[in-house]
Amino acid sequence: MTPEAAELLKGAIALVGYGLAAVGPGIGIGIVVGNAIQAMARQPEAAGMARTTMFLGIAFTEALALIGFVLFFIA
Amino acid sequence: MEGVILASSSCDTEKEIICAPENVLELFKFEEAWFSIGPFDWTRTVFLMFLATGIAMLLLYLGLRGRRIVPTKFGVAIESLVAFVKDDIAKGIIGPQGVRYTPYLLAVFMLVLVGNLFEVTPLINFPITSSMALPLIISVLTWIIFVWVGFAKNGISYLTGIIWPRSVPLALRPLVGLIELVSTFVLRPITLAVRLFANMVAGHLMLTLLLASGIIFIGEFNLRSIIGVPWFVFGLGIFVFEIVVAVLQAYIITLLSAVYVQTSVNPDH
Repeated sequence: MTPEAAELLKGAIALVGYGLAAVGPGIGIGIVVGNAIQAMARQPEAAGMARTTMFLGIAFTEALALIGFVLFFIA
Repeated sequence: MEGVILASSSCDTEKEIICAPENVLELFKFEEAWFSIGPFDWTRTVFLMFLATGIAMLLLYLGLRGRRIVPTKFGVAIESLVAFVKDDIAKGIIGPQGVRYTPYLLAVFMLVLVGNLFEVTPLINFPITSSMALPLIISVLTWIIFVWVGFAKNGISYLTGIIWPRSVPLALRPLVGLIELVSTFVLRPITLAVRLFANMVAGHLMLTLLLASGIIFIGEFNLRSIIGVPWFVFGLGIFVFEIVVAVLQAYIITLLSAVYVQTSVNPDH
């Protein structure tokens, strides 16, 4: 394999790796936000607390996707 | 045109669909120093960091000086910002004793907010939080504060509570303790810094690629200019989205700093 081909292949594999890293957090954020909306709809007076906790949950879940994103550029 | 937009330095508009830079890093590096003080180079990034600090301090000073019964509109805006950090974040997360940590949280919030909004400020267009130095320093400061507070409030039981959690069945304690130890002292500061950094890098990269490609392709004035139109429109849509992201990331890094301090103040919760 020529060095150029290896370089191209490396970029492609990194791209696939980032795609895989984004699957889990995508599902996770969907679950977090969905349940937060359910909580807000059931108890609108607690919406403020649910929103704060929702952002926290999103931030924690998102971390994995962001690490994948950084690794895509490092690779 | 090529000197203005870094992303276009080697764009062949006949072949490429989008003008990507050869090396992504060149979008985030400003090597040429304006002047040097000893070993410290004064680059554009350093200047923007000082500018962000100055703007944050100036906003707070102008908004809160000369308090009066009926404050000005600007004063109300700044006051509500301070009250948001104090009441919603510091008191809401940490509890009544959270007022002590309000100055630190407010400083982080204002600096990161101004720094993030530089991304969508015309003529600046560079979020200073997209160079790793600033998020890393903020997360290291947060790390020092929550470890210090944990040992000062709880003594050595702060460490033993993490390594040997009493609320977990005996057989699982070594495993959970190891996971907790790594996640508390290693993963927390890393993810806190990387979250802000990666969000800002992604936003800056998308804006530069889309808007620069759009301008270059449209500027060619041939049939391929049609490609530039959707890039430019999509870039403008992302532009609005990035304003939301900038404010949200400033909120999230402040919120998470407060949550980490809270776990040290009341480790049982």
